[in-house]
Amino acid sequence: MALRELSSLEKYLRLKKPNKYITQGDKKVPVLQHNSGSPLVGLVTIACHLVKEAKRPELLGDSAESRAMVQQWLEYTVTKLNGYRKEDIKTILKDLNLYLQDKVYLAGNQFTLADPLMYFRIHPIILDLAVQEKEQYVNVTRWFDHIQHYPGVRHHLPPVVVLRNRIYPSTHH
Amino acid sequence: MELFVSEGNPHCLKVLSALEVTGVQCAVHYVNHEERVVPFLSRPALPALLLPSGEYLFSPNAICRYLFEVNGQESSEHSNQWLEWDATDLQPALLQALHVAVLQGKGSEVFQVLQGPVNVLDQSLSKGNLPYLTGEAVSVADIVLWAALYPVLSDSSLALGKCQLVAWFDRVAAIHSCQSAAQKVLQGKGLQGLKSYLQRQPAPQSNEGGECVV
Repeated sequence: MALRELSSLEKYLRLKKPNKYITQGDKKVPVLQHNSGSPLVGLVTIACHLVKEAKRPELLGDSAESRAMVQQWLEYTVTKLNGYRKEDIKTILKDLNLYLQDKVYLAGNQFTLADPLMYFRIHPIILDLAVQEKEQYVNVTRWFDHIQHYPGVRHHLPPVVVLRNRIYPSTHH
Repeated sequence: MELFVSEGNPHCLKVLSALEVTGVQCAVHYVNHEERVVPFLSRPALPALLLPSGEYLFSPNAICRYLFEVNGQESSEHSNQWLEWDATDLQPALLQALHVAVLQGKGSEVFQVLQGPVNVLDQSLSKGNLPYLTGEAVSVADIVLWAALYPVLSDSSLALGKCQLVAWFDRVAAIHSCQSAAQKVLQGKGLQGLKSYLQRQPAPQSNEGGECVV
């Protein structure tokens, strides 16, 4: 999973030469062997490295506060959205829905690395939602739809249909 | 800026150590384990940092990183890698180890549970042959991993034969700020100081069985 995510991220960042990765351990943690220094281990670590390589530091946040928010949501993605139990899904969606109520992107008003990585991981969950559930988690689906249409983000994943108009009476607040 | 912590919560040891080491000015509030500080999270999540912007940080590692950055020490790629490893590899094992040691009273099984991550740390310290995880000076990675391991490594009943790891652990523990943070969180009660916090946590997922979506 991580290797496809990194390959999509490389395409989004328009990196000329795709990197070669290996995976280690049962959890198939990605490892990047690069020319300068010791190998980099872990999806978040490698993704942040690629952003720097592409000279797009703003994707990691443009202030100490936004950098901390980006790191927090990257960590959330690789911990909470990895090997979760089915009963955890509702909590994740409920929390994200409340969080995204007044936000365009995960770190606020600016698109950052946290958005595509969360999008890659949450895709199977959103794909499985019934129309009514998509309406229940309306802020998550609005954010999701926004990111899947963000130029250059959706590479290895099929689009998910998100209705813009409610077809069920709004019962959830 | 306001930091919310609770006594006996091992994650709070990370942020209090980082706060003391960096000397960043910040109001600290001690609250109950069950207090819901972060408005959008269903489960209580401590520590939490209320940023000047009005947003909350609820990841202890992100809070530590932020405190170091505010103090002019931006986290290096190498430090970030250790923070990610802590969140994805060490924390699940530690939670299980603490559960076994404190709630089931089987202290002897702790290092069996922690063997994998402990070997990774020990080997990395032996290979690097440096006093700290990322070099000659203490970094955010040392503080985060030291605080994560403090409850188990400071408990003398849990013997451990990893020389490099123990030497590094003692080196960080000698920093006065770290000792003072440990006293605030554990109140000198050692592992038992974590009991009431651990009782409120869902039982850790075992590696076998259970419905897991990957």
